[in-house]
Amino acid sequence: MTNCIAIRGLGKSFAAPVLKDVCLDVSRGSIHGLVGENGAGKTTLINIVSGLLDADADADAGQIELDGKPFGVKTRREALNAGIALASQELSLIEPLSVAENILLAELPRNALTVDRPEVRQRAQGLMDLVGLDEVAPESPLENLTLAEKQLVELAKALSMPEANCRLLILDEPTSALTSPQADRLHEIIKKRARDGLGVLYVSHRLDDILAVCDTVSVLRDGSIALTAPCGSLGSDDLIRAMSGEDLIVHGNDSPRQAGELRLKLENVSSADFPEPLSLECHRGEIIGIAGLAGAGRSELLHTIFGLATEREGQVTLMEDGMEISIDSAGAAVKNGMALIAEDRKSQGIFPGKPVSLNSTIAGLGKLGGALAAIIPRREQRVSEELIARLKVKCEGPLQIIDRLSGGNQQKLLFARWLEAESDVCLLDEPTRGVDVGSKLAIHEHLRELRDKGAAILVVSSELEELMALCDRILVLSNGKAVADFGRGQWNKESLLAAAFSELKGERA
Amino acid sequence: MNRVLQKLSLAFEELFIFLALLFLVAFFAVTADNFLSTGTMAAILTQLPALTVVTIGMTLVLISGGIDLSVGSVVAVSAAVVGVAFTVYELPLALAAALGILAGGCAGLVNGLLGSYLRLPIFIVTLGMLEAGRGMAYMITGSQTMYIGPDIQALSLPISGLGVSPSFLIALSMVILAQMVLTRTVFGRYLIAIGANEQAAKISGIRTEPYLAAVLVISGLLAGLGGLMNAAYLGASDPNAAIGLELSAIAAAVIGGTSLMGGRGSIIGAFIGVLIISVLQTGLAQLGVSEPFKRLITGLVIILAVLLDRWRSRQ
Repeated sequence: MTNCIAIRGLGKSFAAPVLKDVCLDVSRGSIHGLVGENGAGKTTLINIVSGLLDADADADAGQIELDGKPFGVKTRREALNAGIALASQELSLIEPLSVAENILLAELPRNALTVDRPEVRQRAQGLMDLVGLDEVAPESPLENLTLAEKQLVELAKALSMPEANCRLLILDEPTSALTSPQADRLHEIIKKRARDGLGVLYVSHRLDDILAVCDTVSVLRDGSIALTAPCGSLGSDDLIRAMSGEDLIVHGNDSPRQAGELRLKLENVSSADFPEPLSLECHRGEIIGIAGLAGAGRSELLHTIFGLATEREGQVTLMEDGMEISIDSAGAAVKNGMALIAEDRKSQGIFPGKPVSLNSTIAGLGKLGGALAAIIPRREQRVSEELIARLKVKCEGPLQIIDRLSGGNQQKLLFARWLEAESDVCLLDEPTRGVDVGSKLAIHEHLRELRDKGAAILVVSSELEELMALCDRILVLSNGKAVADFGRGQWNKESLLAAAFSELKGERA
Repeated sequence: MNRVLQKLSLAFEELFIFLALLFLVAFFAVTADNFLSTGTMAAILTQLPALTVVTIGMTLVLISGGIDLSVGSVVAVSAAVVGVAFTVYELPLALAAALGILAGGCAGLVNGLLGSYLRLPIFIVTLGMLEAGRGMAYMITGSQTMYIGPDIQALSLPISGLGVSPSFLIALSMVILAQMVLTRTVFGRYLIAIGANEQAAKISGIRTEPYLAAVLVISGLLAGLGGLMNAAYLGASDPNAAIGLELSAIAAAVIGGTSLMGGRGSIIGAFIGVLIISVLQTGLAQLGVSEPFKRLITGLVIILAVLLDRWRSRQ
């Protein structure tokens, strides 16, 4: 069989290396599965191959060939012209447009200057029949559709590329919102396309789907290919073991430590974003990890606790010196010592264009008294200089604009912000994502220091090593439910991963 | 050494447009015959106060990430309330003035509650208030310009020996007060934070609604004060007063370095922006430039200011 796409020694770094020496071949006429934990590099790999990242400018090493010729695709448009179809996990659909227009957006049929509506309708209808969108009219606006229907539209859009032009079809989590019959139908379609000579790259968290559909599967771990093998010889346990890494060292999995008094108590807490009620207790001097796949509800849980989610039910209580304080808003949370470092540093963390001083002191201003309390520039400078020194932030000083700092140093400043606010209940969402190794170790050290001073800490992380190294307990979420709670010494990477996948397997039975 | 440079570059933002203002004054001093006369200066200073106080409010709202399109109409409402209270109901002038300012505050409160607590788009809310406010101004005055008389004009006449009017002194003290509030209080810091990144502000424990509502109330109160100043300048309540003033205020704020995206701006800068617009208007008039051409040039200056600002922030 000839290779449709051949990736050789591909490397890519953002702040930290994401892909390392990746070799992957998708043969013509075959379906190649790709699995890996969150953060293993799947999305980056897809982005490079589909033209969303410029392969030449953005890849640091290696080469890609398409049909035996150098790849050289710089934009999504060029990738489309080269015959690379993509059904994205983050649906690439435009809500106000009609279903038909969405499906054919890349190549809208037209007469001279105007869109050829009958042709659009007819071609879209054909594709909709193919994927099984029976109950939807081609004219209806996309925003009226359910999530599953939108996912089918995304698939129809990827399949809209004429078969003669299409070289490679990339499917990123194509069945995450589909029912079992819908998924089976999709699998039949892609099997047929593959028999006709198309190469398919199938990325999914659903290991059963991968094993049922694919000819070959590759496992991506920490940016490297850990395993490539024919599917016939593998079971889902083999994949989980390859994803977690057999060579792993069980860090810090020593005897349980003694936790202090109760600090944070959740009783049947739920919200619009986190519908399944959850109860949890976190003590002083305790770090609880929250593990789970992307979409398992980890960030939503933290936002719900912090009081940012709507329709919250249940009780979030902070215990302090025998007092019980009920938390119902983010303002009350911060006032009583709670801190949140959100997942997306850029949109939820830093104040762009503003100096280090404002960025580091903002959460602590509440301590100064009312809104008209004075800010004394000299004192503010001194406070931020102290924070910079305590957290070893590399910057020119309090007046430097935060945008100029590296990701790791920006993240340290978010910690500084809560240090200044004297918070001792910390909700941390991916606190070391996209930071360099040095900053990561510094942040870990800081967390242990906080813990030893009596802070209660909840950490969400996609990196199981990180959780295993830091935490006293690890709570595993799967599909919005708490499915397991491991104490220190009871976990290993395989059991954590198996729990994270547990609610996905049974769902479509 | 680095810190000194950084401090200079922070101060430089205002220094830069101040130099532009000096350049304009120098230009008109050379080209127009009697631009530097006391008469010209007095003319500029008497027109200035209403636009200045309105621009202060606008700048604060823009910094918080919002916009207040209603200020021109609110000026007219306030002027109308002052006129009716003083001439029809014969209230004391101080009380009439207070009622006018309060009317502006009420309009701002409505804007603020709808915009922040009910989360309606503030652009639309204040656009509605622009229209509704103008209607109210006509209703209160019976669509007539109401003569108020010399009592109120004292506000805008120069104090003997000082050369500037009480209105101007009030406006100037408002500039200083607002700049202090913006840069030296928690309130100001929160406005900047909310404008720079509202989500991050919420996560930092800032309850954004009261601040966003308060800044619109402040803008309304200042527009109310602007209405009083307008009535004092005219000696009358004109329901057609201050049409389009919101655009002049936005222009002055932008010339002064305020970002329409929120999170960045300076009251001192906006005040210099007001001075630049006034000097430009008066200077061009003295050069005998026609009204259409004046507006063309003013428009180009606004665009030039934003271009320079973009260039400056890239440095």
